[in-house]
Amino acid sequence: MSSEDRFRHVYAGNFEALLAYASRRVEQPDDAADVVAETFLVAWRRSADLPSDDEVRLWLYGVARRVLANHHRSGIRRERLGERLRQCLTAVSTPDPGSEVPQRLAVQAALRRLNDTDREMLLLTVWEGLQPREAAEVVGVSPTAARTRLSRARARLRELVGDDPHAPGHVLDVLAVPVPKEGR
Amino acid sequence: MTDEHLDRLVRDADPYRPEIIQRLGGADQHLLEEIMSTPKLDSVPARPLRRTLVRQLAGATAAAAAVAGIFATSSLWSAQPDDVYAGPTGLPSVGTAAISGRELDLKAAQEHPRLLIDEPGWKAISVYGFAEENGSIEFQNGDRSLQMNWYPDEQYQHYYDDRLHVSKPEVTTVANRPASIFTYSKNDMSAMLEPQDGTFVELRTGGNWTRATFDEILTHVIKVDAKSFLKALPPEIVTPGDVREEAAKILADVPSPPGFDVSVLDNAGANDPYQFGAAVAGRVTCDWIAEWIRADSAGDHQAVKQAAAALRSSHQWKVLHDMNDEGDYPEVVWEIADKVADGDVPKWYKDGLGC
Repeated sequence: MSSEDRFRHVYAGNFEALLAYASRRVEQPDDAADVVAETFLVAWRRSADLPSDDEVRLWLYGVARRVLANHHRSGIRRERLGERLRQCLTAVSTPDPGSEVPQRLAVQAALRRLNDTDREMLLLTVWEGLQPREAAEVVGVSPTAARTRLSRARARLRELVGDDPHAPGHVLDVLAVPVPKEGR
Repeated sequence: MTDEHLDRLVRDADPYRPEIIQRLGGADQHLLEEIMSTPKLDSVPARPLRRTLVRQLAGATAAAAAVAGIFATSSLWSAQPDDVYAGPTGLPSVGTAAISGRELDLKAAQEHPRLLIDEPGWKAISVYGFAEENGSIEFQNGDRSLQMNWYPDEQYQHYYDDRLHVSKPEVTTVANRPASIFTYSKNDMSAMLEPQDGTFVELRTGGNWTRATFDEILTHVIKVDAKSFLKALPPEIVTPGDVREEAAKILADVPSPPGFDVSVLDNAGANDPYQFGAAVAGRVTCDWIAEWIRADSAGDHQAVKQAAAALRSSHQWKVLHDMNDEGDYPEVVWEIADKVADGDVPKWYKDGLGC
């Protein structure tokens, strides 16, 4: 397989996962296009030494994480790729009725108050469906440290949302968005 | 609240809506094509690929990466009279060139004075292309190596931006130039010098380094003139003045494609024997494949047979056997040559060979 074919294969197999990853972590939906575009641009430039198929998604998450950090820092786009995707995401991002549910807003607000790395460990595990050791690889901490961070994130979040037995009831069930299978 | 409960709360707060993927209207494919239309940057060091590295990569493309950039036509040679290659024994001698080999070397080297490591024990083990804006030289000392790559200055910002994904840059000075250090891992670092005289240089560690040893060696990197640079090259490195003589040796047992022109072996820079061998053998193989394609489409069966036989003979070319311990370029040549000789021209052959 040529490096071009390999890149197409990697792109096709990981586009949605990366779009989901980026969409979950940007303020404006269309900003996800920048993150996805830049992440795959890095992958393209490194296409000669991409990790193997079973490692590549974690690697892409790691790249996307750094792209996001730069994105938040600079607030400007460096590349003008992905304009069409940006427009498309803007157009299709109608408000999600579920986003207005107070409990969801409360959880999202609580998540924002966690330490960055702790939060990322938790989100990679729950939203991206990664194993703790895989999430550890993405954020660059040891598996032992990862377990500590995950446990700390859950404890802190529990404090923040209140140890409310008001467990996800029917309302949330109805409005909840199915979690995409990450294939891992 | 159990962990499962808590995770469910978090899951329910996921803002991503998977149905969006159905509504992209091809924007994802559009982005893919946009990305693939941008130039790739060198991320794999361009040098003779060791087997361990090649095994991890797609062989053909890796081989092309190993020799990428050495087929560029140079103004230096194009100023020379055209020499039509007339066969293995018809190669013009160095003496017929307008200037001597040594002068050619100096002229080539003067364009871009280079960097050396001013500390005993460092030896240049791999070199190519120093007269061009792209080039590479790798030094080794025990279990450490340091590669210096040159690029045209207009690519600086692209590379710099790319390296920002590696780590935060740390400002330093190398050979009196402002430079940025990027950290890949605690044993693997690079330093990117700001552009000067049309090029910029990136230094990259290999082997057993620490940040302290890297910082220390950076203080010994010096800019030198052409004479000093040439003097530092090991004798086996093929410089412009050696090209005709060395090419003639390689071509002694290699059948010459119709109209083969030795000036396409133009080699204004410096190359280690592996890179030079790849340049020569690759050029000949590319030309024979082009001849096979021409003859096949023209229905010239005799010429098809001749091209196929020439390609099959690659298994006997001494240059490829000499190179075979060092990298996988020969195996790529043989694989492609055999396929073409059997009537199947791989779409990727140009990438594979660097045609």
